[in-house]
Amino acid sequence: MRIKSNKPAVAEIDMTPMIDIVFQLIAFFMVITNFEQIQADERVKLPSDSLAKPPVVKAADELVLNIGFKRTPEGELADPEAYIFYNGEDIPVLKFGPKFEQEARIYKQKNQDPKEVPVILRADALVKTGQIQDLIKLAQESGFTKFAFKAMQKTQ
Amino acid sequence: MKLRSSGREAEKIEPQMAPMIDVVFQLLIFFMLTLNIVEPEGDFNINMPITDSAEPSDEPKIFPDIKVRLVANEDGSLNTLRLGQVDLGNGANVFAGLNHEILKIIGKPGNPITKDMEVEIESDYNLHYEYTLKAVSACTGRLDSSGKHIIRYIEKIKFAPPVGGNTAGS
Repeated sequence: MRIKSNKPAVAEIDMTPMIDIVFQLIAFFMVITNFEQIQADERVKLPSDSLAKPPVVKAADELVLNIGFKRTPEGELADPEAYIFYNGEDIPVLKFGPKFEQEARIYKQKNQDPKEVPVILRADALVKTGQIQDLIKLAQESGFTKFAFKAMQKTQ
Repeated sequence: MKLRSSGREAEKIEPQMAPMIDVVFQLLIFFMLTLNIVEPEGDFNINMPITDSAEPSDEPKIFPDIKVRLVANEDGSLNTLRLGQVDLGNGANVFAGLNHEILKIIGKPGNPITKDMEVEIESDYNLHYEYTLKAVSACTGRLDSSGKHIIRYIEKIKFAPPVGGNTAGS
């Protein structure tokens, strides 16, 4: 009886199963966390389409442009004008021409032909089609020829 | 020394669990917070060669372009979709209808003639981009019954200059 009373008063809980589960969770979140720097702007609400499949072969270099609206926290448009969110700047669509020239120059300095660099347009569902076409036209004036639209894969 | 080792309880070495669990929980919370669910995104390739629309290309085409016309309402929503001269309306199934009509034109998916065919999408300036994208998608193909593979219809899609509205000042 005396020997038993020597035991610590704190009840020892078996930690092993809990630690197992916690490690499982950590491993799960580590695997699922995407540290890849994607040039996506969360302000752009992409349209969705069931045919939008991620490309099998990813181009080494691509120019991703986010075209969207400034929105209020409630999700309403704060400004009817569409902007390109480019390196932290908000540039109206029609004023993007100089940036295209700049990008084209950078690609040429890297010995790349702008013709071969795809321009990926991530446009908000509510952007006017005409503005997208204006943007494509501006890009063409700087020598870009490959274009692709991004859409969210529809989850059904 | 002897006294210590003589105790029955001392045989089992108890590692200090508390700091490890602290750190592990920290890690867990960090990964939970940094997790942002990104929905997978896909691409649609657009064929936009640099040509002035004013001068038509010299090489004769075997097939005339399939013309898809998207007419917008004042607020940017879709008013009417026309394929050539056929009016397909603007209901919920209009893009499924367009998909069906394209299939009728090309005969069967993967038909070699689709390599020479082109779809020209002509849209109103103020039409919302999502409708244009749906039209592009409807011309590109459809999913097979399993929903995993794309059955390609026409790969080449181009745009006619937008109708109405101001254009880019160069």
